[in-house]
Amino acid sequence: MELFTWETNMLIVGFLMILAGCYCMIRTYHMLKIIIGVEVAMKAVTMFLILAGRINGNMDLSQAFVVTVIVIEVIVAVVFAGVTIGLYKKYGNMDIRNLTQLKG
Amino acid sequence: MNTILSISLACLLVFCILSIMSHSLLKSAIFLALASAMLGVLMYMMGAVWAAVIEVSACSGLVTVIFISAISLSNIKKDDIHKQYEDEKRMRWFPITMIVGGILLIVIALAKDFTLTSALQQTTDHFKEVFWNTRQVDIMGQIVTILIGGIAVFVLFREEQENK
Amino acid sequence: MNVLKYAAETFLFVPFAAIVINNVFSKKMMEKCFHLLTGAVALSQIFATLFCIYSMDARGMSRFEFFMLEELYENDREFFCLTPVTLIFLLCIGIVAFVSVMVAKKTIDAKKTSYVNLLMTLIIGMNGMVMVNDFFSLYVFLDVVGLSSFVLIAMFRSRKSLEGSIKYIIISELATIFILTGLAFLFMQTGSLDYMDLNSSLLQNSSEPQTMLLSLSLILILSGFFVKAGAVPFHSWLPDAHQSADTSISILLSGIVIKIAGIYGIYVLTDLFSGVKAIQTALAAIGILSIVAGALLALCQSHFKRMIAYSSVSQMGYILLALSTGTTLGVVAAVAHVFSHALFKSTLFVNAAAIHEQAGTLEMDEMGGLEHRMPVTSFSSVIAFLSTAGIPPLTGFWSKLLIILALWTAGNPVLAGVALCASIFTSAYFLRMQKKVFFGKTPEHLASVREVSGSIKIIEIILTAITTLIGILFPLVLIFLQSRGIL
Repeated sequence: MELFTWETNMLIVGFLMILAGCYCMIRTYHMLKIIIGVEVAMKAVTMFLILAGRINGNMDLSQAFVVTVIVIEVIVAVVFAGVTIGLYKKYGNMDIRNLTQLKG
Repeated sequence: MNTILSISLACLLVFCILSIMSHSLLKSAIFLALASAMLGVLMYMMGAVWAAVIEVSACSGLVTVIFISAISLSNIKKDDIHKQYEDEKRMRWFPITMIVGGILLIVIALAKDFTLTSALQQTTDHFKEVFWNTRQVDIMGQIVTILIGGIAVFVLFREEQENK
Repeated sequence: MNVLKYAAETFLFVPFAAIVINNVFSKKMMEKCFHLLTGAVALSQIFATLFCIYSMDARGMSRFEFFMLEELYENDREFFCLTPVTLIFLLCIGIVAFVSVMVAKKTIDAKKTSYVNLLMTLIIGMNGMVMVNDFFSLYVFLDVVGLSSFVLIAMFRSRKSLEGSIKYIIISELATIFILTGLAFLFMQTGSLDYMDLNSSLLQNSSEPQTMLLSLSLILILSGFFVKAGAVPFHSWLPDAHQSADTSISILLSGIVIKIAGIYGIYVLTDLFSGVKAIQTALAAIGILSIVAGALLALCQSHFKRMIAYSSVSQMGYILLALSTGTTLGVVAAVAHVFSHALFKSTLFVNAAAIHEQAGTLEMDEMGGLEHRMPVTSFSSVIAFLSTAGIPPLTGFWSKLLIILALWTAGNPVLAGVALCASIFTSAYFLRMQKKVFFGKTPEHLASVREVSGSIKIIEIILTAITTLIGILFPLVLIFLQSRGIL
């Protein structure tokens, strides 16, 4: 089918990856798996940015965006892991169902 | 060229799904690293050379190292994961959601006649100029972000000596 | 022109210099005078803003664009820009940062240098966010603000604060992913993400987005900013994060971060996509929902700070309603409410810090009769409550009046009526708080409570004075705006 150019394929794969990342973030019980969900969704966004650059012809600008997004993604992973380890030391396991102190 | 694109795109999706569904955290981290590598290949084939290099080195390398160090700091035995977290039951609906989502997206793409046309190719020698000249604000933001990362490591990871 | 340029460059240079000074000198010396350093940065921001307002008004400029570090490159588009809306936001940042430092002098006992570092990066992030000319740079500084606030909440590593921080991280990351996806689609449609380019290439004065990509990007970016602003139904992170953080950090979060990270983004979006009817309907609907749901949820709380956090949700609804009109009066009303909300919310959190310092507890069921023991605190909380409910002649009355006028003149009398009636809920939960905490009989374990002394008392008096003074002098501000042709 000539409708399915590779750009449309990439858009579909990107949407599926964002769906997968959000599903993982919502449904898992393990705190470190939430980071994996965030990373997968960020990879999808990176792919969208490169695709946008290819479509516009302005690949330099979109590469600049991608470099910045990757730096931010790494630091978010560091901060998230830090808070998670802090919670592990308080509770003894990485279960997110333990967090019931703040209610109402 | 088209075959490499399709293979890397398919592998990217497969590795991401495997990374989410896997029950062992180490395997999830390794699949994430492989997915980053596939994304790097994809970006190189599309013409984004610099972004591919930074993606492979930062995501495939740095994030995996952070993740594995977080796993080893938390010291969980492999069997405990099956018993305590019951992720099996929770992620049971994941493949079905993916397949339904995929079919829905294909139907929408066919119905809305969704095509994007790509522009003429320009040479990408000017990445250095664009990045260092016009995106200086982003560079300032990145420096501040890295500073916050350093402070976060210092504040969050240090052992509490007062409580011992 | 040079003096204005130097004054404008201080917004980003002074916090950075403070970080350098903080880390270069010895730790003991810095811990003794940390409040002087950060107080100096906050005061310099307030004075620089007032100077810029005066200078730009004397020259008749409504936009001032500038670079930083000009000699390093050539570019035909400036990076930063000062507009009147930007200047009012910068003034709010300066005031709330100053209040936070005065409270932190008493409540923070450990990790003072880290607090200073993180506060400075937060100020850099917020200043950068309101001053840039580019949508992607706005996203970068939004992430800087988010990361700073994650670490600030989790800094003291108690169970509750780590839990509040992780709930905030997860939901905020979801919002960031949505905003970034929307930006990628916007970039796909137009060629760049600069405000000028977007303004010229997008549809001004058309009531529908032209392609499916644009409407999809609009929905995604709008949802992301709603989560960051704490609007209902995306508000679930807000009470946990604001309750579990240390009080000086709750002042920052509730007083300025939700407004800059959420409301300023929505303002930029409505500015770019002006005329699209769907945005106005969505803003109005979510605004009304936030006002009512926030007020009802605040009625049944028993923790002092949690009730104040739900009150923030409710006030964000008022600001969203003001932005939904799409007129200049609506923008003026929204900015006025941002300013007055910063004042009275900071006062309430300072009262919470005072009560926590002296009485040791923040559960409202355990308190009572503190009016005679802590007269200054009680008086300032009464003034803050009257300002929230919109009683003249305080600041809150004028900002609520402007909101209702904006809704009425834009052709939505029903919304104006609903906003007016919802003030009853505001008064209800605040009266309940006053009765439980300050009036009534003192329980035995609180019989020896004295008035709080030192910097917290000073800042309470200053805030109450500013609220009353600006409320009385507000007609002068309105006359000034009318003479400049804005109203």
